[in-house]
Amino acid sequence: MTLKPPPLLLAVLVAIGGMLLALALGLLSGSSGWGWPTHDIFWLIRLPRVLAAFGTGAALALAGALIQLVTRNPLGDPHVLGVTSGASVGALSAILLLPAGVPFGPEIGAVLGALLSMTLVFSLAWRSMGRGLALSAQPGTVVVLLVGVMVGAASGAVVSFILAVADDFKLRNLVFWLLGDLNGATLWWPAWGAAALSLALVWPRAHELDWIARGDAWAWTIGVSVARRRRIAILAACLATGAAVATAGSIGFVGLVAPHVVRLTGLRAARQLLPFSALLGGVFLVLADTVARTVVAPTQLPVGVISAAVGVPVFLMLLLRRRA
Amino acid sequence: MTWDAEHLPQSLHLDRLALRAGGTGHGRLLVSELTLHAALGERWVLLGPNGAGKSTLLMAIAGLVAPDAGSIVLGERPLAQWRSEALARRRAWCPQFWLDPFPVSAWETVACAVLATDPQRDAAEVEQLARSWLERLDAGLLADHDVRTLSGGERQRVALATAFAQGAPLLLLDEPSSHLDWAHQRLLSRLLRQWSADHGTALVAVHDLNLAWALATHAILLDGKGGAVCGPRERVLTASAIGDAYGVPVTLTDDGDARWFRVDMVERDE
Repeated sequence: MTLKPPPLLLAVLVAIGGMLLALALGLLSGSSGWGWPTHDIFWLIRLPRVLAAFGTGAALALAGALIQLVTRNPLGDPHVLGVTSGASVGALSAILLLPAGVPFGPEIGAVLGALLSMTLVFSLAWRSMGRGLALSAQPGTVVVLLVGVMVGAASGAVVSFILAVADDFKLRNLVFWLLGDLNGATLWWPAWGAAALSLALVWPRAHELDWIARGDAWAWTIGVSVARRRRIAILAACLATGAAVATAGSIGFVGLVAPHVVRLTGLRAARQLLPFSALLGGVFLVLADTVARTVVAPTQLPVGVISAAVGVPVFLMLLLRRRA
Repeated sequence: MTWDAEHLPQSLHLDRLALRAGGTGHGRLLVSELTLHAALGERWVLLGPNGAGKSTLLMAIAGLVAPDAGSIVLGERPLAQWRSEALARRRAWCPQFWLDPFPVSAWETVACAVLATDPQRDAAEVEQLARSWLERLDAGLLADHDVRTLSGGERQRVALATAFAQGAPLLLLDEPSSHLDWAHQRLLSRLLRQWSADHGTALVAVHDLNLAWALATHAILLDGKGGAVCGPRERVLTASAIGDAYGVPVTLTDDGDARWFRVDMVERDE
């Protein structure tokens, strides 16, 4: 099998076209059907929501691509770092403890929870992110992943505890938050900001992430500061994940799959993989959210339901068609 | 290969080097005291039983494993004082195993070694250099293939092309012939001879005694218990030394300049 990447110009045009189409679809369809919305609905509800969906998808896909590269693990996913569960604890605590009507309570709780779990993962795994260079072909970052999974598991227990003690009225809010929901997501810029910031953090030496993915000890021998690149990439992934989770709750699937779909098109180098994954993740989540709020209108489904229901079969189809 | 100022070959000096397994203070002792001087244009082979420390010694010289005691000096500076970017232009390390988690073409894996040591180079030139090294290793037709679809021997040739393309005069090759057929072992032997004729130095771990003799000007024999003999190949590669290190009967035939080794592979009841 030979590998030839597609022409970059074509890829850019397709990506921009897809982005515009998805944004238009998202803006023009609503619970009352298809068409141009009134001024207030457009500016106060639909535009922020569509932008929030795009930013969330982009941030998650970017985080997924980064984690896959630096841990050299195709199963890398933004949620393995424990940030998502940490943010969930923060958001659920805010919903449980704060009186209703405190502005952005869950969002602020999620940001605090994400920062706390990030700090925990970093302080526990700091040494191991620099170590593990030599002596085996095994990925040197297994420790980071395990620490992330452990912090996630501990946070998961706290989440279960909160769900167990919450009253019925709050339980519905809590569960929807956990499922990943863009309903009421009015702050769109934090996810965009975090995605842009994390891309900017890794961009100057993004090509070195490709070399690390080819072997971290070997990358060091060709002159890459592996420990620093790895720490920066994981920090960037944590920031993007935290902002995405604070915006829309825990949305699975897109962070794992968007980078793989981009790779299947032949855009494999990190300088292409990272921005195109972000674009694809954003487009995908806008479309999924559009379906989620229109398919059984006026009831709104959590976007996580749609992203998995549509995304899983599409991805399996792409994957298996290639192998056949 | 002609060296520019940044890639000038430098000699390698090991002084009473001690190594432990895992590079940690409480690992098994692999090498207790190894002193050698590898001058420009020499080809060293590294022999010893499984787990004797061949890979660890190569990684220590690559700078990946800290020695337990003693020192490694490259050129005029101790290894620990080299910055990794500068070191990348002086020595190339080709590991024994490769794990390719993501699709990438053969020429791109070679190209990153070129790009890493010479970031200013023009992209088309880098690709051309990468492809030419693949051709020199008889892997030109594989240049656009996904490395994950290559056979063991093909992948190994891509890895060797990567090590050569890095342009560092000191080559550290860890069992580079383990998957190669006879023709490609000969090819490797020829390339290493050219390399040393251009004043490059090579340190190569091998198991095949006859290939070792053909490749080497000098040899290091580790016995796995801390002991090591090193020096010109005639002195190190003797039937008794090899037989003792590996614990097998070795017969040796001298044929003028060549030396043939035969290991009796059938255990007989006595």
